[in-house]
Amino acid sequence: MPNAEDQFEKLRIELRRGSLVLAVLGALREERYGYTLRQTLDDAGLPIDEGALYPLLRRLEAQGLLVSEWREEAKRTKRFYRLSADGTETLATLLHEWNAISESILRLTEKDA
Amino acid sequence: MDLIDRYLTAIARRLPADKATDIVAEIQDDLLSRIEAREEALGRPLDRREVSALIKEMGHPLIVAARYRPAQYLIGPDAFPFFVATLRIVAMFMVLALAVGAGANVIFGHVPLARAFAQSLTGLLSSAMLTFGTVVAIFYALERGGFPADHLRKWRPEELPETRDKQPGAWGSAFEVAVGLYAILWWCGIAPLPILYTNVKGLTLVPDPIWTGLWWPVLALMVARLVYNVVQWLRPRWKMARGVLSVATALGGLALLAVVHQAGHWISMRSATMSAHELLELDRAVNLGLGIAIIVVGVVWVLQCAKELWQLVRAR
Repeated sequence: MPNAEDQFEKLRIELRRGSLVLAVLGALREERYGYTLRQTLDDAGLPIDEGALYPLLRRLEAQGLLVSEWREEAKRTKRFYRLSADGTETLATLLHEWNAISESILRLTEKDA
Repeated sequence: MDLIDRYLTAIARRLPADKATDIVAEIQDDLLSRIEAREEALGRPLDRREVSALIKEMGHPLIVAARYRPAQYLIGPDAFPFFVATLRIVAMFMVLALAVGAGANVIFGHVPLARAFAQSLTGLLSSAMLTFGTVVAIFYALERGGFPADHLRKWRPEELPETRDKQPGAWGSAFEVAVGLYAILWWCGIAPLPILYTNVKGLTLVPDPIWTGLWWPVLALMVARLVYNVVQWLRPRWKMARGVLSVATALGGLALLAVVHQAGHWISMRSATMSAHELLELDRAVNLGLGIAIIVVGVVWVLQCAKELWQLVRAR
């Protein structure tokens, strides 16, 4: 049987997994490349494994939510990402959903808070 | 840089060729950015051990590359329960088919029990691996084709078996299917159950011409009965299909039994060592036994058919 710490860690990862897309879309309202995006998320308290971040960025781009371009900066070419028009719209809808979920959870757990 | 190059090459090897350069360039930039940031913080260049640790943080090349592939699993969580259920059915059928085969080998082929068991076990292991692989391949293909989303959209609670219905035991139904299939294989001359029985004091049992004339109708009846057993096992809620198949096979079987019974004689005996009188007595006893067996089978089929009809009427 898994110990309480392992169990909590699994639940925490599950909980965070769904919110990462929202965090990435939110952070990319401003143009960023992979490394700075990861730092931004890290600074905001949502660290993401780089092995997961780059495939996620590609998936979101393939879904039309992000656009990217290779550009030179600090003597190296980097791939810059930003939100597309569809991405902006999707982010607004997801944020609305996120707030609704958050309010529901608060209502359900306010006695315990 | 040697370590980074080796790492990136290992990832690139596992990526689709048309995307590899682009993906690897991005990973390389990330790694170099991290090294630069670390070096800036430390105020000195990183040594080989530190670079190695940093690369390791990025993840194993196989896992990093796999994350860029569209398929992350063979069988997804939605299809998995269907996969397990299918595997269970196939495994049950396989075990029983091999058990029936071993039993037939022992009884009719005079193979020692231990050898028949060992043969079946060997057969079971190889068949199990092949079957498992085949089921996985089928589900992999089905999942890529949209299963089970379509099935989950179409299913209706009304299709579930009624609670008052007695469900036939899965092992019993699987056994009937295995026996039915083996009987068909034997009737077609594929399975080793000899139609000419030639092992007792030179005695040979020769089926009468009536059986040759009824070969196709008997085969049709066996196939229909197999279909009935499969439906009863895997789709017990198809009551109408079960009822129709049961009545049809019972009526067909009764008609066949009537024709067979009218013949009055079904098996002839030949022996080089037994006297004509002994042969005649044996012939009479065997055919009398067969005659009674035909009547008993007929009565059982009539009762089964009546029971099925009654259940069908009660369910409406």
